[in-house]
Amino acid sequence: MILEARNIDKSYGSLKVLKNVTIECHKGKIYGLIGANGAGKTTLFRILLGLIKQDSGSIVIDSEGIKPIGGIIEKPALYGYLSAYGNLKVFAEIQRLKLTKELFYQSMHQVGLSPERKDAIKNYSLGMKQRLGLAIALLNNPDCIVLDEPFSGLDPMGISALHELINKLSNENQITVIISSHIVRELTDLCEILYVINDGEIIKSGSAAELLKENVTTFKIVGKNLELSEVLKSVDAVFLNKSVLVSPKKTNISEVLQRLIEEGMEVTSCIPQTDLKALFGKEQV
Amino acid sequence: MISLIRSEIYKISKQSKTLYAIAAILIIEGFVMMSAYYQGAGIIDLLLDNLKDSFEFRGNLLNGNLIIYLILNSLWFHIPLILMIIISGFLTSEYKDKTIETVMLQPVSKLYFILSKYIVSIAFTLLIVLILAVSTFFISYWIFGYGDLVVYLDGLNFFKSDDAFYRLINAFLSGSITMVFFSVVSLTLAVILKDATKTWIVAAIFLICSNLLLKMDFNNDIINELFFSKLTDSWQYFFYYEIPYSTIYFKNLLLLGYSFLVMIIGILIFKRRDIQ
Repeated sequence: MILEARNIDKSYGSLKVLKNVTIECHKGKIYGLIGANGAGKTTLFRILLGLIKQDSGSIVIDSEGIKPIGGIIEKPALYGYLSAYGNLKVFAEIQRLKLTKELFYQSMHQVGLSPERKDAIKNYSLGMKQRLGLAIALLNNPDCIVLDEPFSGLDPMGISALHELINKLSNENQITVIISSHIVRELTDLCEILYVINDGEIIKSGSAAELLKENVTTFKIVGKNLELSEVLKSVDAVFLNKSVLVSPKKTNISEVLQRLIEEGMEVTSCIPQTDLKALFGKEQV
Repeated sequence: MISLIRSEIYKISKQSKTLYAIAAILIIEGFVMMSAYYQGAGIIDLLLDNLKDSFEFRGNLLNGNLIIYLILNSLWFHIPLILMIIISGFLTSEYKDKTIETVMLQPVSKLYFILSKYIVSIAFTLLIVLILAVSTFFISYWIFGYGDLVVYLDGLNFFKSDDAFYRLINAFLSGSITMVFFSVVSLTLAVILKDATKTWIVAAIFLICSNLLLKMDFNNDIINELFFSKLTDSWQYFFYYEIPYSTIYFKNLLLLGYSFLVMIIGILIFKRRDIQ
């Protein structure tokens, strides 16, 4: 195990923001922390990264490196008046790492940024700043990185590129990645293990695929002339503009799809819709 | 620690506000010289009007030494105010841009980080006073020439040109300790308040109150001698006929002690606080 946070409690005055939180992370895996806004994700990450102290509980990071853990909290906070080189130079120097030309080029290429840009990073897009922030987090080769809402504000291209980068770090560099988000779809494709946090408590944890499967009660079906389908009417489907929401209770979705095909309907996609109330709710699934 | 200091210097050298600070000081200098150039002779005539009936004055009293003395007086308010704004910004800008979080996400000691801020702030203060002094001496002598210095301090005091030069140099050196005190206070205020505007307001109030308290008699010898605000005028003592060296040394040493104490308070608060 590379990181273990056990029985973490944190309060601000009378407000308990984290209650007996325990998470365990293994080397080279990608973990997701999902929860609604204000659930306690950022506070937990700040504690893991040593920015704030927990009231009680312990954190053990099994690493002998100079920098056991790196990360980005919310938006990447960098020196806007410096270039990418200037930022890397400052952050490398403060951790006694000499930023050689080779290291600079390697760091920039690792996150898919051009090392040739010389202008101040205040001109960079959010996605580029996110990548530079990641390059800084990866200085001194941490064993674990923590990314708080890394997809927030990114366009679909940026999200896809960041997904690719995170997968690469996990697969090729064996870095443990812990990502938080309040958007389920962002984490489902990426993470192996999910922790669900609600009101400062970890209420569910386990395989991302299993957790999502257990919390999918509705499917969005897209196809041609679905409004004519007797099968869909019989399962109380909700007809939207160009799609249909089906929540099969007595049958399963594969049976509904089979019957639709037999009926002669052309189904082009069937997208599972996570029931957020069930996922973020306290009842065990 | 050295690497932290180096990176602080690198950041300061790349920030436009460093240039603004130097520009502000040169502008103040320029204004004093311009007003002296156009109105100085009239003011000196007014000042010496009564004395002219009894004494004969030879040479030009509106000379470089007087201009340097006038600029030296910006150590009362203008220079410390500029320094307090700029130096508190070294930390408040890190809080505002949240770069302090990114710094603390690296393997960096909180103690060494804040200590490096204090060290660089003190060095920056001394550099600014040095720039002020060198440019003032150079430009004032170049434009207004040499001459005897007349100063009004509990009465009119006259100093020969060479003596005036010695006193002015020492006044700048002594004044730099006062400036260091105000700079350290402003950085500590930044540690406590985190927000730039709040820190500027409190720093300005601190400076104004400190100047007001300097003139106030507390009717208590200990307070009158040891209270911090009574120690910020040591550089003025170089313009008494008999320079009270022991008083100047005492005041400066005590003010350095206060600076150290304020710095320790700032470091302890910074170390204890969460970064957010």
